[in-house]
Amino acid sequence: MKLNLKVVTPVKMILSDEIDELTLPTTSGEISVLPNHIDLLTKVSPGEMVIKKGGKIENFAITGGFLEISNNNATLLADYVIRATDIEVAKAKEAKERAEKKLSEKQGNKDFVVAQAELRKALLELKVANRRRVTS
Amino acid sequence: MASLLTLKRRIKTAKNVSKTTKAMQMIATSKLKRAQNAATSSQPYAEKLSELSRNITRQNEIEELSIYTTAPKISAKLTIVISPDKGLSGGLVTNLIKEVVRIEEKRKQYFIVVGKKAENYLSAFGKELVASFSFGSALPQYDSIFPVLSLVEDYFRGQKVSSVEIITTRFISLFSQVPQKTILLPLKLEDENKEDEKDMVFEPQASLLLPDLLKHYLEISLYQSFLESYASEQAARMIAMKNATDNANDIISELTLLFNKSRQEKITNELLDIGGVIYE
Repeated sequence: MKLNLKVVTPVKMILSDEIDELTLPTTSGEISVLPNHIDLLTKVSPGEMVIKKGGKIENFAITGGFLEISNNNATLLADYVIRATDIEVAKAKEAKERAEKKLSEKQGNKDFVVAQAELRKALLELKVANRRRVTS
Repeated sequence: MASLLTLKRRIKTAKNVSKTTKAMQMIATSKLKRAQNAATSSQPYAEKLSELSRNITRQNEIEELSIYTTAPKISAKLTIVISPDKGLSGGLVTNLIKEVVRIEEKRKQYFIVVGKKAENYLSAFGKELVASFSFGSALPQYDSIFPVLSLVEDYFRGQKVSSVEIITTRFISLFSQVPQKTILLPLKLEDENKEDEKDMVFEPQASLLLPDLLKHYLEISLYQSFLESYASEQAARMIAMKNATDNANDIISELTLLFNKSRQEKITNELLDIGGVIYE
């Protein structure tokens, strides 16, 4: 028995597959979902998502969203997801520096929030990318 | 009859015009393809989100819901008009503005405009513009809706308006784009199949999840309107430019015919002149 997983974002469908296990951070702590999980709706918090399929492990960075499980179908509505292998470390580093620079310039409140969000995203991508390098 | 030189110049101008419009047509075609892809790939997210919102509201009596579904008792309303930044898109902008004027009511109405064209028209009409954003000429990014939405929340939840509507151009086909009004707020989550009740675990509880969920729902609704407007703009421009190219080509062939005729005439006259001289 496998779990049907769909990962969709507002801009595109990232993944639609049958998997063995899904681990992701939620607002009430990290959870792992196995096939035949009880129906659930929960909010996903920023962090690392791990998908296991037939002994293979895939890592993703996720910035938040919702996870719905019903009848062994899991749907992840994500704001932003990126596969760890697709993360471009150089780009993320650049984004991080740019955001940090913006933050230090102390602009208006709105710019501040945007820069903060960008910084968080960049840091998350770096974290996930670095961890993948260590494990593989 | 125009002299040969002026004819030659006019042919050259028409050729230049047709080159330009042809290029614009090709650009619009490729942008349209991208827009249609974006629209279809945001579909699953939007559908799932609206399904989830309906599910969660069906199973729970939630007070938090009322902030989005009940209209404050005020007569004012907020209208978001989405138009392109640039012209040369046939009757698209005109039709859009006509629709805005047509559905206008007596009550107080605030406007948020996205796109320079709508801004120009509505400010010329002396409407009360709350804010104006540029639409850009590239595919709208998801981030671009957040400033609009935060204003909308300000007005609706701050009890300044009783409803929020979007007027945009709906993409029906390559040849037909129709201005359309949709109500964004107050939210109407229709119950389609009440029987289908399932036990579902909510973590955290539904009343905490719902406001977030609805916020995302508003976001994607607005984003889809943006995409729709973008696709319509490109389709309208593509057709307008195709017509312009065809017209330019017609003019070129007409002028070329005229040019050849008058050249021939000139040569014949010269020959006659020479012939006349010899005869004398």
